[in-house]
Amino acid sequence: MLALRDIRVSYGAIEVVHGVSIDVAAGECVALIGANGAGKSSTLKAICGLVPVSGGSVQFEGRDITNASGHAVVQAGITMCPEGRQVFPQMSVIQNLRMGAYTRTDKDQDADLARMMDMFPILRERQSQAAGKLSGGEQEMLAIARALMARPRICLFDEPSLGLAPKIVASVFETLAQIKAMGMTILLVEQNSMMALNLADRAYLFEAGKIVMAGPAKEMKSHPDVMRAYLGH
Amino acid sequence: MLIEILQQTINGLAIGGVYVLIALGLTTVFGILGIAHFAHGSISMFGGYLTFFLVTSQGLPVLAAIPVALATGILLGLLVEMLAYRPVRHANHINAFIVALGLTMMVEGINLQLFGHEQVVIPTGLSRVFRFGGITVPELRLYVIIAAIVLVVAMMVFVERTKTGQAIRAVAENRDAAILMGVNVKSIPLIVFGISTALGVAAGIMVGALFAIAPGIGEGFVVKGFAVLILGGLGSFPGAILGGTVLGITESIAAGFISSAYKDVIAFVVMILVLLIRPQGLLGRTP
Repeated sequence: MLALRDIRVSYGAIEVVHGVSIDVAAGECVALIGANGAGKSSTLKAICGLVPVSGGSVQFEGRDITNASGHAVVQAGITMCPEGRQVFPQMSVIQNLRMGAYTRTDKDQDADLARMMDMFPILRERQSQAAGKLSGGEQEMLAIARALMARPRICLFDEPSLGLAPKIVASVFETLAQIKAMGMTILLVEQNSMMALNLADRAYLFEAGKIVMAGPAKEMKSHPDVMRAYLGH
Repeated sequence: MLIEILQQTINGLAIGGVYVLIALGLTTVFGILGIAHFAHGSISMFGGYLTFFLVTSQGLPVLAAIPVALATGILLGLLVEMLAYRPVRHANHINAFIVALGLTMMVEGINLQLFGHEQVVIPTGLSRVFRFGGITVPELRLYVIIAAIVLVVAMMVFVERTKTGQAIRAVAENRDAAILMGVNVKSIPLIVFGISTALGVAAGIMVGALFAIAPGIGEGFVVKGFAVLILGGLGSFPGAILGGTVLGITESIAAGFISSAYKDVIAFVVMILVLLIRPQGLLGRTP
């Protein structure tokens, strides 16, 4: 469904992703794990058109979307739930959710809105509050729901657990598992490798802008190098 | 005394409406692009001049000239965005600032060349005066107040209730997140400049009909517009509306009770006092 071939990402003269290839099949949940600064988030941003790709290609459902502009990527069916939540702070919860459906013109948007609030009851409770007034965990739920409002064919999650209390992290991952169970294709970037490997079907391990290991999540979890370096065993 | 205060309040509402329209344009542009669009006042007055020209030289009825001027305003807004500000979009902020100052001088020069240095008043033919109790309201002033309210409400509805309006807010609050929602962030500045300039032109027409347009008036209004933004709280729509109304009424009451020569002084003294107590502005958020 999504195929990255040898993509490179640079910020100015400094290249941070040195040619990585990633495949995500429909219905699959793939995790990108690795240390901070390994190039995982940059890879996601390059897919979404937030940073330019300096080499290689991005294919989505057979179409080349390399360096397509951000809104074209969303229209193609790719939505990202960004790092640090990035809700619109002064807009209400409802307005944030409706922004998620910005590119949609169908009539089911209200029904989806209700569905999201069934899934996240806290959002119904807080529906007319400014999103900036929500707690970190609530904002994460809002960001996830907002991404789903686009009815994407693949959903990218960038560090959903970042800066959240352990208890909230667990509930975020429960939510992701729920979304996965709904059949959503997921590409997840996460520093919390254990959580990510428990959720994902397959994973890629990033080190210094390169993929150093790839395989089924179960195998990665028991690989001695991964255990030593990233799982704290 | 009470009658007199009410009278001045009504007078202040008309000029306050003009300030609000100018300030709404400035605040939307500032919110999206972070630009202090100083040329806004001069372009607004160009719209007033244009209406005057269409009515007096071309013999158009005022009601036909106004839509033409507003449409020209939208077009000018698009041109300003594409030709003046887009090239410096990714440059240092000081560049956009210099462009804004240069553009102001350019538009002032164009106004002077095209329309001369004489002050002009748009002839509306509205000369009836309504009386409510002891308060007299000239017909024209009433229509200006109503038009300002209609435009402000329309703008609020547009921003709060339409997808495009919400996209404008979203880009102002978080540009990257707006891109991830599928907003085409290249088209948003165009829309913002089109609408802002049309609102400015509406204000220019009001000034031309109520008072007079002359060289330099536009710069005065843009300074007042920024004063309104700071008074109301930067980036706040309701703040711009409240700030503009307060400034208009304060000026008018000062002119009525003290001296019209001091009306600007008193208006700015009130502004300084408000900012001493609430540095974030009347409806601004504490950063």
